[in-house]
Amino acid sequence: MKKKNKKQKSEFDFCKVCNRNHDEGQRHKYFPSHTNSLSKFFSRFQNKLTEVRFFLKNPSFLRLELASRNRLWCVFCDCDIDELGSSFACQNAINHLASGDHLKNLKHFLWKYGGGMDRVDAFRISQADIAKWETKCKSLKSEAAPCGGTSQGLQSGLSNDIHKEPDYENLNNYEKNTLHHLNSNISNVVMPLQQHTNEYQVSRLEHSGVANVGSNMHVITSTLSVDPCDGTSLWNANNLMEAGGNVHSGAPPPWFEETQGDQLNVQLNQVSTLNKSGKLKLNPKRVGAAWAEKRKMEMEMEKRGGIVKSDCDPNWLPNFGRVWQSGSRKESRKEFEFEKQKQTNVHSLSEMPMEIKPYVSKRMRKIRVFKMRIRSELVD
Amino acid sequence: MSYLLTTLTKKKEIDTIIRDTIDKVLVLRFGRAMDALCLQLDDILAKSSRDVSKFADVALVDIDSEDVQVYVKYFDITLIPSTVFFFNAHHMKMDSGTADHTKWVGAFHRKQDFIDVVEVCYLLFLSNPLNWIMPSIQIVDPGSVDIIMVA
Repeated sequence: MKKKNKKQKSEFDFCKVCNRNHDEGQRHKYFPSHTNSLSKFFSRFQNKLTEVRFFLKNPSFLRLELASRNRLWCVFCDCDIDELGSSFACQNAINHLASGDHLKNLKHFLWKYGGGMDRVDAFRISQADIAKWETKCKSLKSEAAPCGGTSQGLQSGLSNDIHKEPDYENLNNYEKNTLHHLNSNISNVVMPLQQHTNEYQVSRLEHSGVANVGSNMHVITSTLSVDPCDGTSLWNANNLMEAGGNVHSGAPPPWFEETQGDQLNVQLNQVSTLNKSGKLKLNPKRVGAAWAEKRKMEMEMEKRGGIVKSDCDPNWLPNFGRVWQSGSRKESRKEFEFEKQKQTNVHSLSEMPMEIKPYVSKRMRKIRVFKMRIRSELVD
Repeated sequence: MSYLLTTLTKKKEIDTIIRDTIDKVLVLRFGRAMDALCLQLDDILAKSSRDVSKFADVALVDIDSEDVQVYVKYFDITLIPSTVFFFNAHHMKMDSGTADHTKWVGAFHRKQDFIDVVEVCYLLFLSNPLNWIMPSIQIVDPGSVDIIMVA
């Protein structure tokens, strides 16, 4: 007889879509619960991509203060895409979605979790689209800064988009400017600007010999951006350095003013003290409240003063209402003690030692008594 | 299971535990360690003692020890296991469907039944003022322990 192995248990695998582990193997992606979760999953990511697509069609400059807020988590590649260092809105995201790696991961995801290969185009940006976007960006740049060709190119190369494939156009520019060696350092490292971009400082940095990529960046920007129309790069550096500190230096955030902070601290302290002192506010009217309070005091006295409290009376009995008793509980105690006394009396009586004597008849007893009287008279 | 819970064999020990358990329900089981029904109850008590530890203490009393006979008589313990409830050194009566309201006779079916009883006891004793009639709990069906509170 052929044994049909219906339930082939495969190893446990984690489904990113359903967010749970399962041992259904390849069959899992066909289950209705999974397909439901998958459609929700895709629609969620699509919503996030609508913004990116908008900026793909209408590129616009990205202001630095907004750059830190923009980030996208790519669910197919399991990576975070932030916009630090990008000059256009969603630049890094667009570049990522157009990259080959992303396409590869997307295809793998669709194979693993189902959803149909026709969805590929919905979650990526084709080469044609990105080419169009880039031309639009260039035209925007040229409109904004007519003389900043090389430095802008440099800036895009300086972006900390580690997922971006090397931009060969910009590399060629660097070769021309003999800054190729610096590019290889900069394009792979993300360093926050730490010092003011000042010509005096730059010279100091050079002399200090600190092999800091950040400082190198400053060198480039200061040497290249001599013209006032290249204010963008200078402005970037200066703007960041105005605040006393930043996230990396551990400074408090600007919305958290000093006054507010103090108030909050005070409030927190109050809350913590409340928690410690009033654990449970017991009802003063609870059963045996008076007894409890009294006993607590006694125990505290014993602990503190080391007073050795005399042990309770061996005859102490708790407050107990007996089964067939009516009336107050004191009466039950009295009853019990009365019974106790009775019992002890009975015991004491029964405890008298019984002597065993031989039988003596009445006549013999009389004779004995008579004899004892004569003896006693003779003695007296 | 008596090795998991404190077993009391002297009157002094019982007095101490009654007097020192403050603002917590004290559950005293009177019985023998080797009796079958006592073993059943002890098992449930031991398993749930930790769960109720914040509002109840559980202790076992061995009725075979001589020192304890005073209490055996005082509490009229004739059937074992018998469980007596105390709160702040006051004995608490409970109507469990039998004529004897002073104690709970027998074992519990499930751990949860015991926990329910103790929990209700605690809430009742904590909330009710001290009257000359002690608050009592009426248990309608001891089998399933549906508790109706009667002040």
